[in-house]
Amino acid sequence: MARYEAKAEVTGSVWKIVTSVGQAIGAGDTIMIVESMKMEIPVLADEGGTIAAFLVTEGMSVAEGDAVAVLER
Amino acid sequence: MDTSDTVQATANDWSPEVDELRRRREDAERLGGGEAVAKHHARGRSTIRERVASLVDEGSFQEVGKLTGTGHYDERGRIVRVTPAPYVMGLAEIDGRPVAVGGEDFTIRGGTSWSGDRKKGGQGGFVEDLAYQYRIPLVNLIDGSGGSVTSIQRRGHAVFPGVHGFERSVALMGTVPVVSAVIGTAAGGPAGRAILSHFTVMVKGSAQVFAAGPPVVERSLGQKITKEELGGSHLAVDVAGTIDNAVADEAACFAAIRRYLSYMPQNVWELPPVTPCDDPVDRREDELLRIVPRERRKPYDMRKLMGLVVDRGSLFEIQPTFGKAVITALARLGGRVVGVVANNPMVYGGAMDVKAARKQTHFIDLCDCFHIPIVFLVDVPGFMVGKDAEAAATLREGMRSVYVALQASVPMYTVVVRKCYGMAGMGTTDKNGLDFKIAWPSAEWGSLPIEGGVAAAFRREIAEHPDPKRREAEIEAELRAFASPFRTAEAFGVEDIVDPRETRGYLCRFVEAAQGKLRTTLGPKAKTGVRP
Repeated sequence: MARYEAKAEVTGSVWKIVTSVGQAIGAGDTIMIVESMKMEIPVLADEGGTIAAFLVTEGMSVAEGDAVAVLER
Repeated sequence: MDTSDTVQATANDWSPEVDELRRRREDAERLGGGEAVAKHHARGRSTIRERVASLVDEGSFQEVGKLTGTGHYDERGRIVRVTPAPYVMGLAEIDGRPVAVGGEDFTIRGGTSWSGDRKKGGQGGFVEDLAYQYRIPLVNLIDGSGGSVTSIQRRGHAVFPGVHGFERSVALMGTVPVVSAVIGTAAGGPAGRAILSHFTVMVKGSAQVFAAGPPVVERSLGQKITKEELGGSHLAVDVAGTIDNAVADEAACFAAIRRYLSYMPQNVWELPPVTPCDDPVDRREDELLRIVPRERRKPYDMRKLMGLVVDRGSLFEIQPTFGKAVITALARLGGRVVGVVANNPMVYGGAMDVKAARKQTHFIDLCDCFHIPIVFLVDVPGFMVGKDAEAAATLREGMRSVYVALQASVPMYTVVVRKCYGMAGMGTTDKNGLDFKIAWPSAEWGSLPIEGGVAAAFRREIAEHPDPKRREAEIEAELRAFASPFRTAEAFGVEDIVDPRETRGYLCRFVEAAQGKLRTTLGPKAKTGVRP
């Protein structure tokens, strides 16, 4: 089973994690929402898969390009 | 025919020379020879001749300078074979329009430069003269490492930088479309040549581009780095924006070049081609009515929005993976070419950062140069803020972008989709033209967003209130009532507010109407002043 990381497109703070570990999601689905520039920016899944782990928690700061979740497909 | 005529005819027969011409041409066709070509193919690469054939209209390539190279002669001075010059070029057609095309032949000395009486390609080569003099686009297929220090030995002196006609490469930038594809590893001159282009594309995995390669980097800085890390598409396209677009393979590379040129005029004295359009100009997309969330903090898919407005299937994005806070794309409206600059709310809420600013500057320059009207789909809260943004000189690059937009003279159309704030917002208007701005009902604008400005402007009043947070919210609500776009429309401060579904029809109508201005303002554009 291949694993890949979902990355934050923007610097900001993790506002809300809207998925859970073990959940199956499709390509383009929202994994979590990062607050940046007063906007709720979704972190989207590039490909479909199952959430294997989160690398951040709500409230944590993330930088552009940081891995925030691990997915399996 | 009597005997004397036969003798005369035989004496006048040039067949031996024509045979020699054929053999010399066959030598040229063999490039670096069977073994070198096989090695090149084994690495998954095509030869320069195959590349040209894949790129241009079938059978349209008329090579120039096919006999160039180094002749090898026997003891009686008879030609044995010719090692071709490592550059193939000539005249061809793309979609029935003439282009000058050339590229290095990697199978001969890795495509390093060659010294004949006249250069074939690269800066100041015949292929550049051909494009410049005949006012036709130039396509460079770059796969070479440029000069070699061995040339100093051959010449007996060191060549001063720039003697070989970089000024021609520069002049081309204001004259005809120049497209460069980096297909192999390009360093030095060829790398620099690639950048002096309107559009650059590279092949993922098999192409790298840098000022100097890993050996020079290690010697200069002690850094050990692979050529892919140093100049592969991730760095050169996604991180640095040195090259515009990355593609999966050579076929995609040639498709991208053909597609790009389909939006371009042949030169700055002409308008881009108009294509027949079967997409109704009055097409109304109900989806546009719901695409912008009423909740201001929620972003939406700007690419989808763009696709719903322009002619179906006509969007061609330039630099899609760099400076992602803004989207720049060539497209068509009613069959006529337009440039679209759209802020991307998914990336920093569309705030203009240093990379987005650089990307926007280049794109506006491009459209202005080739008389392509620009449509701004605006959702910009301003310049990117924060220490990192300031350290990266966002303010300077951002103002440069604003300056370039305010200097451009091509017709521009401003469509405010949501936010239009500050100087970044100002840079989306047609100050040399009609200054024509339309807005969606979701639009809002000002010198800065209300939520950011209230805390500063009403600091004392908020601080002295028993419930400062509540007071701040109250002031925000009071001011927001004045921010309705309809109030500005009453004052004709914005020329119109449209139902989002009317956007396409409205723009098509005005792009069509601007053709008279475009036709009467053709030619090169001299820019005065100093860019900030």
